[in-house]
Formats: sequence, structure tokens, C-alpha cells
Amino acid sequence: MKRILVIGSGPIVIGQAAEFDYAGTQACKSLREEGYEVVLINSNPATIMTDEETADAVYIEPLTPEFCERVIAREKVDALLPTLGGQTGLNLASLLADRGILDKYGVQLLGTPLSAIRKAEDREEFRALMREIKEPVPESWIVESNDDLKALLDHAPYPCIVRPAYTLGGTGGGIANSPEELWEIGQRGLKLSMRSQLMIERSLLGWKEVEYEVMRDRAGNCITICNMENFDPMGVHTGDSIVVAPSQTLSDFEYHMLRTASLKIIRALGIEGGCNVQLAVNPDSFDYYVIEVNPRVSRSSALASKATGYPIARVSAKIAVGRTLDEIENQVTKTTKACFEPALDYCVVKIPRWPFDKFTTGDRTLFTQMKATGEVMAIDRSFESALLKAIRGLEVQSKDLRHPKFSAQSEEELKTSVRQPTDERLWAIAEALRRRWPIAEISRLCRVDKWFLVKMQNLIEAEQALGQPDHEGTEQNVARALQLGFTPSQIRALAPESPRLEAALSNRSSRPVHKMVDTCAGEFESKTPYYYATLGRDSDDVLIELNEGEGASQAVIQTQIELGVSSEAR
Amino acid sequence: MDSRTVLVLGSGPIRIGQGIEFDYSCVHCVWALQQMGYRAILINNNPETVSTDFDTGDGLYFEPVTLDDVLPILEREKVGGVVVQFGGQTAINMAEGLASAGVRILGTSADSIAWAEDRDRFDQLLNRLGIPKPAGKAVRSLSEAQEIAAQVGFPVLVRPSFVLGGRAMEICYDEVQLEAFYGLAESANPGQPVLVDQYLLGKEAEVDVISDGETTFVPGIMEHIERAGVHSGDSMAVYPPVTLSPAICAEIIHQSCQLARALQVRGLMNIQFVIQNHQVFVLEVNPRASRTVPYLSKVTGIPMVQLATRCMMGESLKDHGYSSGLWVPTSGRPVHDPARPLEPRTHGRICAEADLEAIRTGQRPAGSALGIEAPPLYAVKSPVFSFQKLSRVEPSLGPEMKSTGEVLGIDTSYEAALYKALVGSGITFKPTGRVLLTVNQQDKPAAIQIARELAKMGYLLAATSGTHQALREAGIESQLVLKIREGQPNLLDAILAGEVSLMINSPGQDRQEEEEAARIRRACIETGVACITSIDTAAALAHALPIFENPERASCLPYGEYGQASSVRGSETTSTVP
Repeated sequence: MKRILVIGSGPIVIGQAAEFDYAGTQACKSLREEGYEVVLINSNPATIMTDEETADAVYIEPLTPEFCERVIAREKVDALLPTLGGQTGLNLASLLADRGILDKYGVQLLGTPLSAIRKAEDREEFRALMREIKEPVPESWIVESNDDLKALLDHAPYPCIVRPAYTLGGTGGGIANSPEELWEIGQRGLKLSMRSQLMIERSLLGWKEVEYEVMRDRAGNCITICNMENFDPMGVHTGDSIVVAPSQTLSDFEYHMLRTASLKIIRALGIEGGCNVQLAVNPDSFDYYVIEVNPRVSRSSALASKATGYPIARVSAKIAVGRTLDEIENQVTKTTKACFEPALDYCVVKIPRWPFDKFTTGDRTLFTQMKATGEVMAIDRSFESALLKAIRGLEVQSKDLRHPKFSAQSEEELKTSVRQPTDERLWAIAEALRRRWPIAEISRLCRVDKWFLVKMQNLIEAEQALGQPDHEGTEQNVARALQLGFTPSQIRALAPESPRLEAALSNRSSRPVHKMVDTCAGEFESKTPYYYATLGRDSDDVLIELNEGEGASQAVIQTQIELGVSSEAR
Repeated sequence: MDSRTVLVLGSGPIRIGQGIEFDYSCVHCVWALQQMGYRAILINNNPETVSTDFDTGDGLYFEPVTLDDVLPILEREKVGGVVVQFGGQTAINMAEGLASAGVRILGTSADSIAWAEDRDRFDQLLNRLGIPKPAGKAVRSLSEAQEIAAQVGFPVLVRPSFVLGGRAMEICYDEVQLEAFYGLAESANPGQPVLVDQYLLGKEAEVDVISDGETTFVPGIMEHIERAGVHSGDSMAVYPPVTLSPAICAEIIHQSCQLARALQVRGLMNIQFVIQNHQVFVLEVNPRASRTVPYLSKVTGIPMVQLATRCMMGESLKDHGYSSGLWVPTSGRPVHDPARPLEPRTHGRICAEADLEAIRTGQRPAGSALGIEAPPLYAVKSPVFSFQKLSRVEPSLGPEMKSTGEVLGIDTSYEAALYKALVGSGITFKPTGRVLLTVNQQDKPAAIQIARELAKMGYLLAATSGTHQALREAGIESQLVLKIREGQPNLLDAILAGEVSLMINSPGQDRQEEEEAARIRRACIETGVACITSIDTAAALAHALPIFENPERASCLPYGEYGQASSVRGSETTSTVP
């Protein structure tokens, strides 16, 4: 085996964005490091992966089976890596296999076998497997025709969730509250599914939604890269949810229960590479259900890679050509191996970026069909500061938790805004907290875990304290706000002008320091300068001094690790 | 610069109008800086991208791209200068704040950036240079707006000032529409004036230029396939131009060079033009890398971001073998050497500014100087939309951008490049049913041409009354389909029943008709029927029909090989240009 074909994900659409350029570029690099020649096909020119330097032959051609066949024939490709081009790449690989094109040209499929991919993606096969390994799945029905759908209308549990099979970002899905709605959404979903297949499922609205990014190699070694918890409970597409990593409201018992389940699933499926497992957890008991598995690199894996420093696509590509986790180097530390589970000593918040500033007439409610075009991620030492940082980076009208739309709403209107998931609900919840609605009441309305609401309340209290007229407590209020992640200009916008305010802000301790994302929470020395800002005393450093005269760089590495964290580890 | 460390500002989250293209440019800028021996660090907060891969640069700060977050990094890293040109509007908007904080902006100065973006100052500059632009004015009342409309004539483009990305923008065709829309534009940005401009219904074209302040090099001209009225990010674009004359192309280059010099551009700049009655007008200037940079870099073989970065850091284009003028690729094997990354990757020559000047002023016949008669390749960019995911969003094209991504079709013939761009973006015929045409009055002559091509290829047609009538008069057979208000079964039923293989529907100006049309377009989206809403896109489709009939006539090559006539196999098509 010498020449490997990588299929890209094509144009950016909602549900399939830049994450596949990142994954594809890493994979190509990784395969070439292993000594293979890479042939690439992608129709999207605005990508690094379609640079001539990325692969040995780059085709910018339509992603159709016909053009893929011509590339396979012309390039005498030996193998195909299908799990890096998102759903588009996976669907195309499966069409090529079904049409006998792979057999005709003797092309071997790398990584996770197609049978395993089908088992993960076909609802019926997946459910059968889950029953076999005794992992709970919510009761559901497969519908393949309008007649099936009609037969179900009377005994389906309402509300129920409609998910079409083989589509991007849950296209055509929705939540049905009545037989009429089920009929309407179901008919549309059948038309949009590539296989004319739908799953109708008991709704788990209000349960916690948790994801695990897991990795397995051919030898059966499995690790967890990280877990992530959705701020928004079940009922909102993960791509449209605010996500926090690692999980914040699970008990240690729950964390390990779900981790064990995820590893059991990836083993049972026989995945070779990265995989994403979505689970729903009952907030009031230890019940959980397995929702779905993505047997490929995904948006969540890009997020997990950046959140931990663990390059999932790179490692997945190496696993696909037969390497095992214990053989692959951890690029961040350069001393540990890819079989080390990353550890996080910070908190990560992701907020989706929606297009409703452009599409002002669009339907802003969120459910199982993804609507966001992109996302931002923020890293900091607390949930509060990471949340504020993420909001600041969204480039929307609101730069903090204030929003004129909700401050103008009546109590009744605000209740609806808190209950109904939309792109702006975060600000509605903030307004409810500002009006001192009881946490229990807000949580009852929006089903967001009380832990998150208490954290948001900390931010609102800091905001309100800053708004008071200047008094001897000003300096303390400023210090508290800075600690929670407000920036000096945000504080100036919230607080009345005063010398005490300026004194507090010009204090040296008001400036952030920069810490490292090192995959190991400081346990080992890290050689990769990947930083985030936070308020604290010391910065982490990989200092590189340049030899000015020749312009060449000579690295002088000094690592200052914060006191107390890892002096023993060094 | 006392420090060899440079900070590159990223472009933040992917949104409509600011996509992955800007990440591409940021990453290449970092690599170019590293090649020059600088220490290049990045700041960005988008977890999906290559720019936030920890091994892309010499340092990654995973932080929001805002002044509050950038300033502490500058202090810590002892940064010598900041690059604001590649991170889209996110980064360029920070130029002023950074400059006033005493930070060195690399490349085009913060003042030049403000100059290009401030309407009054920019108008004065165009006047001074004698470059025409659509007539118009910033107004503060409806009566003033009406006065301007009377002066310049309808249609007029009405939009709020100081609002980014074509929001709350509308083309008003008469007094009634102007009156209805003015209030909306005013309330979109209260307290700021409303811009009312003459709307020129011509051909649009755009260029991305690289300049060191003295030499201005244009890698290529892109012609938009849809006429003015469609946002540049939503229109198909072809490189090189297929309908622009050499004199028009020469005029475009002339204006570009003048603007780049006047604004002292160091790095990249994007300029949009509209051509009406053989006159070239400047519509807009963006003093930064645009969304067409990756596409143009790939098809012209010019390492645009690398060259622009060199210019930003004070090197001259002349030192790297480039002079003012237009790159003209010619057939043949490129002499590209990986050790010389700044050289073009295509075989070609520069058509010098002086030669272009002679062509522009008619002192010399163009001949094949501009290489637009028989270019070695054609490249067509086509937008891709995500309407299926967004209910209640109107899918017709207009001055506001709606696409989320793009695909590229490259081939040795224009037809095949069009075919690939259309197929790649999902515009294709469903295997069963008829092509349904329902177009407005002014598009009927073009629709007849398109229908004739379709009928000749054996496609069955259907049309609503007006279009049906026009087709019948032209001797083209079509099935009559009722409009929604005319009863049932109507075209909506036909779409839902799977009887439509492709829809060609151009928006009218009648309100009721438009409401119906919007329902039809939504129905197409819900059922997966391709829906073309611009007659120019439909004409492009008609032009590509021979390849739809026989896809084997399209080539399939690594894109670097398209310009090399000797290695082109399996492509018998000869290019015909409309």
C-alpha cells in the first residue's frame, strides 16, 4: 500500500464547517509523515488542505462518485481514508463501496471498517448492538415510508423527536408534540434522508446532554480524550448548544459510569480512530441513555482537540494505517505518548455563532436541526471567566451579559424567552437573574442545571455591584469583577467614573497572565507554546529567543511552572 | 522593527460574510513570516480552524480577537508589529484602536484603511483621481433621499451607514419602495445617515491587487456571472473574464493601480467594479485580503499572501521579479521550483501597465496581450447555501450575502468549468420531472434562449402562464402549470409531487407575486429541487448543458496541471464564449 485517497468535506454549509479543513490538513500531514503518498479530492478551494503542498496530488473537482472514480483510476490509488471528510466524505465512500468501484480498482478502506460505520449510523443496527451489550437506548421506531409513519401516529409518545438518517446536522428533524406535527415533520424528513429513513424517538427533553470523545486503535487500546457537557439540556442540537469541557455538573460516579459506557461502545463497534458518543443523563437519578455515535472525526472532535491540545485527526490517521496509541508521540509534550489521557486544569466554553444578525426574519428557535454557522471557544480558569470571554469573542451586538431586547421585556415575555431555546436565550436567563427570579424557578423553566445558573448569578451580582455609586468597596468590587473575567473596558462601561475605579484598574494585578494548554495539567514539561489568558500571578513560558543577525531562530526553552502545581513532577 | 516577533490577528468565528477564506490567508501569512525569519504568533478563538492548530505558528493565543485581549499579549511577547489584513473585518476593524494605543500596524497604514472605509474621504479620493462611481449621497431624511433618487434616477440602493456586511440593504425601484424602506434603513443604525446611491444594472467584476506602495501587481480579474444586484459573495464568478473587452480590463487595471498608489497599499486590497455602457465604475474598496484570495491564488498560481506579506514587511515586488500589471497565464509547463516559493506556479507573463495603458487609450490593438481570448484554463466559483437548515429565510439572491460556502470548478473549457461549479454546488437536474420556468417580464427574452437550449437537449419543460405564453410565441413547447393563486393543482403541488426536476424562478417586483414566489422557492428547498433565482445563473446552466449531457467531456486533473496544454488528456472540448 502506497497511495492513499483522502476525501474532503466540500463547501462550508451549516453542520459542516472549517473543522474538516483542520482535520483533513492534519491527516494528510500525518500520513505523509508515515511515508505514504496522499491524493486529495475536495471541491472547496478556500482550504489549506487543497494547497499543493498538503498532498502529493490535489484535485479540486466536484465530490461525486463519478469524479472520485476518475481520480482513483488516474492516480492508481491503493487505499481510501473515509472518516476525515465529515458526513460528505463518509457518504461518498459508502457510495463508492456500494457501486463496486472500490473492488473494481482494488482500493482498500482504511481505519474503521465500513460495516462498523454502518452499524453506528443505521439506527436499527445500532439499537440491536446496544441491546446486545446492554447499553440503554431510548425507545424508538424506525420509519421508512408514509405508511409506517401513519401507523405510528396513534401510539407514539409525545413529545417525540424525529431524526432523519444520513443527513448533515440533523436536517429535516424536529420535535413533534402531536400526531399532526409528527405527520408533517416526518413526511419532510423522509424526503430529505438519503436512505428515506427516520427515527422517531421518545423525547428526553430536559435531560443533561453529555459527550465523550474516545479513541481506539487496532490492538483494542481505548482512551477518553475529554468529555463535554451541554449547558442547554437535551432538545437542542449539540452544534447549537453552549458546551463546556470538562463536564461541570456530573458527580465522579456519573463521570465514570458514562466513560465506561463510551469505551464499551467504541469497542463493541470496532472503531479504529476517533469517535464521538452522545449520552443523555437524567438530572434526578443515575439513569442514562445512549443517544448517538459519530464514527468519524467531527465538529466535536475539533473542539476536543483544541480544548485539550490532543490532535485527534492526526492520531486517527496514524491509527488508520496501523499504528497503535502507545507508538504515537504526543506532539505537545514530545515526551509522552498518545495513549495518555489528557488532563485539563482549566475550563473551556464553546458558544455557537448563529446567522440571525443577517437573517433577521429567520426562525431563531433551536431544536434538533442545527442552525449555527460557526463557533467560538474560550479557555479560562473558571466557568464564569470562560463564559464572558466566549461572549466577547462572538462579535455580536452584546459584549457581555446585558441585552436591550430582554431588559425591555415584561415578566411574562421574559418567561417565554427563558423557556424557549433560541440563539439569545443566554441573555434572557441573565436578565431573569438580574430581576432576582429564584434559581429554582429559572431552572424549572429552561431546564439548565442550577450549577450553571449560580455561576451566571455570580456574574450578574458582580455586574450589579459595579453599577453602584462609588464607595469604599469599589476597589474590592473591581477586583472581584476582574477575577470573574470582566475586562477593564467592560468594567469601565458598567461602573461610574471615579479615581478609586481607575486606581483599581491600573493595579498590576488587574492584568492577565498567560497559561499553557499542555495536555497534562502541568504534570510533564510542555514544549508547545499554546496559551490562554487568565488572571493570576505567574505566566507559563516557552521562551524562544531569535538570533537577530541571521534571522534563523535558535530555541532557548525555559519553562516556568506555577508554584504548587507541579514542582514534584519536575 | 526592534523585535522580530509579529502577531497575526485571526478572523474569529465562521459566519456569513466571513468564512474559512480568511483563515486560509492568516495561516499563509504566518508561514510567509516564518520563511522570512520572523517569529510569527497568532491570536484567534475559532476551534474549527487550521489557524488554531498549535503547530501552525510559533505561538498560539487562544483568545478573542478584541483590543482588551490583544494588548496584554503584545506586552508579554514584545511584539514588533501587528498584521490586521488577513483576519477579515474582525482584524481590520482593530487597526484604529491598535494604532492609537501606539502599536505598529504592518502594511497598509491605519490611516489608509480609514480613508478607504470613510465614505466622504473615499469619494473625494475618487474625484481627485477621476475615477467614476455611482452617484449618490449620505442623507438624513426621506425628503432628501427622494431628492437624490430624482437626481440620479431609479433604481437606487438604500442602506444604513457604518453597518457591516450589507445588512438592511435594499434596491428600491420606485418612490413607493423608497418610502417603505427608508425608515428601516434609518432605524438599522439610529443617528447615522442613510446612503442613497444610483444603482447601476451592469456587469460586475472584481480584483485583488498586491502592492508595495509603488508597484501594483494584479494576479487576475474575476467577472461575476450574475448582474449587479447580487452580493459579490453570492454570485458565481469566472476567471479570466469571458465577456469583458480588453479595453475594459485595461481600464480596471488602470483604476486599480491608481487606487493602490493613492492609498499607499502595502499588502492586499480588493476592489469591486460595475461596468455599464462601456464605462467602469468603482463600487467598493476593501483594504485587506478578501474572500477570493485563496481561489485566485490557486488558479493563477500566484502566491498572493506570501507576496503581500513580503510587501507588508517592507520588501519590494520588483525584487521578486514582479512589476505593475496583470498576470497572463499561457499554456505550458510552469518552471516552479519549491525552493523559490515566491515565483508563479503557472506558465505566463506580466502584461505591463504601460502596454495596458496603450490598450486602454486605444493607441494599440489588444491582440492576445491580456490572454482572455484563449486562456489555458477557466475557473468558476459558485456559492453554496444552507437554506435547508434555516426555515423562514428567503432564498432569493439580493444585495445581502446569504451563502455559507463555495466550490470551484476548473477546466480547460468554460462550459466544463461551469458544469463542475454547478454540480459541485448542488445545482443539478433530478432524474425525473420537468424543468419549470417562471420568470419576470424583463427576463423573458433570456428565458426563451435558455428554454430553447433545454428543449434541444430533450428536457421537458413546464411554465406558468406568462412564461408559457412567451415560450409558445417563440415556438417552444411547454406544459402549462397554474400559479398558486390560479387554483389547483398548481406549481406548488407539482414540486411536492416530485414532478419538477429543476426550477428557474426570477423574482418579480409585484408584492403578491413575490409572496407566492417565496413559498415556491421554500418548497424547492424542502424537497431538494435545485432552484435558480437569477436568469444569469440559468443562462450559465444552459451554456454548460452539453457537459451535463456528456460529463466525460469534462477533464479530471490535479488543478496544477490544467494550465499545461501538453498534459491535458481526455478533454476534447473547445472553448466557446457567449
